[in-house]
Amino acid sequence: MELGSQPDYMKILKLDEDEVKRRLAFFELTDEDFRRLTELKSFADRCTQDITEGLYELIMAYPESRAFFPDQATLARVKRLQNAYFLHLFSGTYDLNYVRERLRVGAAHERIGMPPKLYLGAYRRYLALIHERLLDHFKGNDAEASTALATIRKIIFFDMALAFDTYIAAYLETMTRHQAAIRELSTPVIKVYDRVLLLPIVGTVDTQRANQIMETVLVQVVEQQAKVIIIDIAGVPVVDTKVADHILQTTAAVQLLGARTVLTGISASVARTVIQLGVELTRVDTRAKLSEGIEVALSIVGKKIASKKPKKESEDEE
Amino acid sequence: MAGSIPILKIGPTLLATIQIDLHDTVVDAFQNDVLLEIEKSGSSGLIIDISALESVDSYVARMLANTAKMAKLMGTETIIVGMQPAVAATLVRMGYFMSGIRTALSLQEGLELQAERRKTLDSE
Amino acid sequence: MVESNAEVWEIRIDKEADIIAIRQLIRELTRQFKFDQFASAAMTTAASELSRNVWVHAKSGVARIGVLRGGNRIGLELALVDHGPGIANLERALAGGYSTANSLGLGLSGTKRLVDEFDIDTEPGRGTTIVIRKWKKEF
Repeated sequence: MELGSQPDYMKILKLDEDEVKRRLAFFELTDEDFRRLTELKSFADRCTQDITEGLYELIMAYPESRAFFPDQATLARVKRLQNAYFLHLFSGTYDLNYVRERLRVGAAHERIGMPPKLYLGAYRRYLALIHERLLDHFKGNDAEASTALATIRKIIFFDMALAFDTYIAAYLETMTRHQAAIRELSTPVIKVYDRVLLLPIVGTVDTQRANQIMETVLVQVVEQQAKVIIIDIAGVPVVDTKVADHILQTTAAVQLLGARTVLTGISASVARTVIQLGVELTRVDTRAKLSEGIEVALSIVGKKIASKKPKKESEDEE
Repeated sequence: MAGSIPILKIGPTLLATIQIDLHDTVVDAFQNDVLLEIEKSGSSGLIIDISALESVDSYVARMLANTAKMAKLMGTETIIVGMQPAVAATLVRMGYFMSGIRTALSLQEGLELQAERRKTLDSE
Repeated sequence: MVESNAEVWEIRIDKEADIIAIRQLIRELTRQFKFDQFASAAMTTAASELSRNVWVHAKSGVARIGVLRGGNRIGLELALVDHGPGIANLERALAGGYSTANSLGLGLSGTKRLVDEFDIDTEPGRGTTIVIRKWKKEF
C-alpha cells in the first residue's frame, strides 16, 4: 500500500473493468495470448536475471539514466523489482489488480522524475533482450519465437500505455493545482472594513474569467455578509461591451443578494466607450478613483473618513 | 388551512421560511396563509427566508414576486433574505433580475431594514 | 471504482410532482459527482425550467437523464421529449437578451445560458425534443 498523498491513478484515469477490457481488446490480447504467456512462465523464470542485467547495462552506460541509481543499494533494490516486474508479465491474469500494480510502477518512475525518453528507450532494450532470449529458447524454431515475441510485445505495449497514463495523470494533477492557485490569485477579494469588500481586477477579462469573478464575488459577499463591494477596474486594459456586460451581470447578481456595488477605476476613455456603446451603468455607483469609491462604500455602511484633530501645543513638548 | 411553509410572527414582521421544493398546491396554500396572517396580525412587514433553497427557477421567482405584490396590496412590504450565491448567479444568467423585490443578506438585516422603514413611515 | 451500469434514468412527466422528481434527481447527481454549487444550481434550474415547460405546454412527456463520461470528464445529460404543440417560432424563442422573461415565454434563451450544450428539435404539431448537457469543470 502506498503511504502518504499518492494520487489515486485508477480513479484519475477512470480505469474500471470496462476500460481494462477495452484496452485489452485494442491491444489485441486474446485468451490465446494469455495462455501463451502462462506457458512461457518457466522461460521467464530462467531468463529474468540476465534480461535485467542487460537492461541495466544500458541504463548505467549513460550519465543521464545512471543518475537515477546513485548507489549500489538502490541499484540492487531496483533490479529485484525489475525481476518481479518481468515475472508478473507472465502471471496469466490481467485484471484490475494487474493494472493497479503497473500504474504503481509507472507512478514510481514519474515520481523520481525519469523522463519518458529514457523510460521508452529502456523498454525498447527490454524487448530486444527478450527477443534474443526467445530465439535461444526456441532453438531454431524462429516461427514459434516470433509468435511468442508478438504476444510479449502486446503485453509490454499494454504496460507502456499505462506508464504513459501515469505521467499524464501526474501532469494533470499538477496543472489542476496550479489552475486553482491562479484562480485564487486572480480574484483577490479584500475586506477593507466591516462589511465592505474590495476587488481590484487586473488584466484582461474574458468570459471564463468574468464568470469566475462573479462567482467568487457572490460567495465572498455572502460569506462576509458584505453590504457593499468595491470593484476596481483600473487594471483592466480593455473595457468593451462584452466586459461591461460581464461587470453588469456581476453587479446585478450582487444586487439580487441584497448588497451594493461601487465601480471604480473608470478612466476617461472607458467612460467614453461605455456611453458611446450605449451600456447602462445607472444603477451602480461609479467613480473614477478607488479612493472616492472607498468613501462612497464607507458612507453606505454609515461611516466616513475624518481628519484627526490637530495636536495641542503642550502635547508636542513631550 | 396551514400549509407546509411555516410563518412566524416576529413583532410587526412575519417570517416565512421556505425549505421545500415548491409546487402549485404548496404555493397556493402559502400565499393564502400569508395574506390571512397579514390580515389577522396587521403586520407591516414580511420576510421570506430562502437560505435553504439551492436553486430557484422562474416558477419560484414568479411566486416570490407575486407574493410580494399581494402583500404590498395589503400595505405590507416584503424582503427576501438569505439568497445563496449560486441562486443569484443562476437568476442573472437566465435574465431574471427580480427588480422591484427588496432583498437582504440575512434575517437580521431584513428586520433592521423594516424597522427603519417603519420609523420613516411613522415620522411622515 | 466500478460504477453501476444504471447510469440512465427515465421519468415520465404527467403531473407537477414529476418536475420535482426530475429536479431532485439532477440535484442529487450533481452532488454525487461533486459539481460546484454554481454548476449544480444551473443544471438543476435548467432541468426544472424545461420539465415545467413540458408539463405546462404538452401536459405529458418523458425525461431521460444520463451520466456522460467523455475521456477524463464527467457530465450530465437531460433529454426531454414531448408530443405537445411544438414551438412555432423557434428563432424568436431562442433569441432574447437579458430582458425580464415574459411569464408566458418558455425561458429557452435563459435556460440555454445555464448549460454547456443545448439541442432542440421541434415542429408545430409534432412535439419537441430538447437535450441539454453540463460538464463538470475539470480545472
